[in-house]
Formats: sequence, structure tokens, C-alpha cells
Amino acid sequence: MTAVQPRFDSVVHMPPRLQVCGLLAAVTDMDFATVREQVGVSDSVLSKHVRQLEEAGYVTVRKSTRASRMRTNLALTPAGRTAFDAHVAELRRITGA
Amino acid sequence: MESDGPAMDTTAAAAELAALDADRAGLAERVVQPWWYDVLLGLLVAGFVSSYSTHNTWIILGALVVLLAGLRGLMAVYRRITGMWVSGLRPGATQRAVRVWFVGYAVVLGAAAVFEYGLEIRGAMVVGGIVLGIGIALISQWWARIYVAELRGEL
Repeated sequence: MTAVQPRFDSVVHMPPRLQVCGLLAAVTDMDFATVREQVGVSDSVLSKHVRQLEEAGYVTVRKSTRASRMRTNLALTPAGRTAFDAHVAELRRITGA
Repeated sequence: MESDGPAMDTTAAAAELAALDADRAGLAERVVQPWWYDVLLGLLVAGFVSSYSTHNTWIILGALVVLLAGLRGLMAVYRRITGMWVSGLRPGATQRAVRVWFVGYAVVLGAAAVFEYGLEIRGAMVVGGIVLGIGIALISQWWARIYVAELRGEL
């Protein structure tokens, strides 16, 4: 197993985005509504941060219709997972954990 | 390793790590599937494997269609209940349960096929199907327990 190189990532760093990445790192994908509920922010705030993560290539956004309802699914990309792991490693380095 | 980011103090970094741990622990509360999910999964697998005992290609194909539709339905139900999907083949400690399933599946299916088709003991695939159905239900529960423990940082 390759050790993760600690690296501060300014895109991941912002608290709502760090939380979003942390949740998505633990699953394959998650509904936008579930992420919003877990993070505890409004639709518009989450949308803004998800857009920033998407622009950085860290998150993919997939829209689908299920039971005549529009669903939005979020998933971490391999680049997003790498950046998140590196950022967490940096936090651990700082704390000496 | 030197960080190329802004200076961050130990307290702030520790708080962020604690928040991440708390989020994962919170996630652990909602990822576990209901018991009937595993029962239905077991019935689908048992039904499909058992269908080989009919020695009828059309019935086996029909059982395969039912299996695939059922798995798709279970996936939709899990998404509806939890609001997420977690691949069974994800990397991490849960791989242990996946390996046990694949090895067990190959051994039981192989043995049942030898009895059913080699020794012509009719119904062997039904027995194999029941064993595999119970097996997947138990392994699915075990997989979920490992996953929850991982989310809670207990591994």
C-alpha cells in the first residue's frame, strides 16, 4: 500500500466542502438531499460548494429521474479522493496523529 | 513533508479531523440495510441457483431475469431508504467478506453442479441454492457490520 503524501488542498479545505468530501469518500454516491441533510446547509449553499468541487474535478454530479422525481447524485472522482486523502493526511501531520 | 498551503494550527486541524470522524459516525447510523433486504437477497440467489435443477434453459433464463430485476429493485430500495449507494466491492476491510462470498460461492456452486449434472442427483442445485441464499444473507449482514465498524473508526 502506497502512503498518502500530506498535501494541503485549498479547494477541499473549506468546512462545508471538507464535510462533503468526507461523506462522499465513504460511499459510492450520495443523493444531494442526503448530503445537504448530513452537512446541515441550505440547497443554495451546498450547490455553490458542489459546483466548486465539480469545477476542480473532485466531484461528479449526475441527474436522473426516479419515480417521476428528479434526483441529483454526487460522487467523488478519483482525483477528488486523492486530494481528500492527501488533505486528511496533512491534517494528521499537523496534529501529529 | 512540507505543506504548500497556508499555516494551520494544531487545534484547527484537530477540530477538522474530529468533525470528519463525527460525520462518518453519523453516516454509520443510516447505512445499515433492514433485515428483510438480506432475506430478499438470499431468496433471489437461492431461486436463481435452484432453477438449474429444472434442466430447462428457458426457466433458468427466466430466473436470471428475475434475479437481475430483483437486484436492481433492491438497489433502488436501498437508495430510497438511505439516500446513498455503497458498492459491495469497495476497497477496505469489507473486502474480507467479499472474498469469503466468492470462494464460498465457487465451492458450493461447483459441488452442487457436480452432484446435479455429474452424478445426476436431481435437486442438488436446489440444496446448493438454499446454502448460497442463506450464505449471501449472512455475509451481507457481516459486510454491513464491518462497514459500520470502519465508519466508526473501530477497525
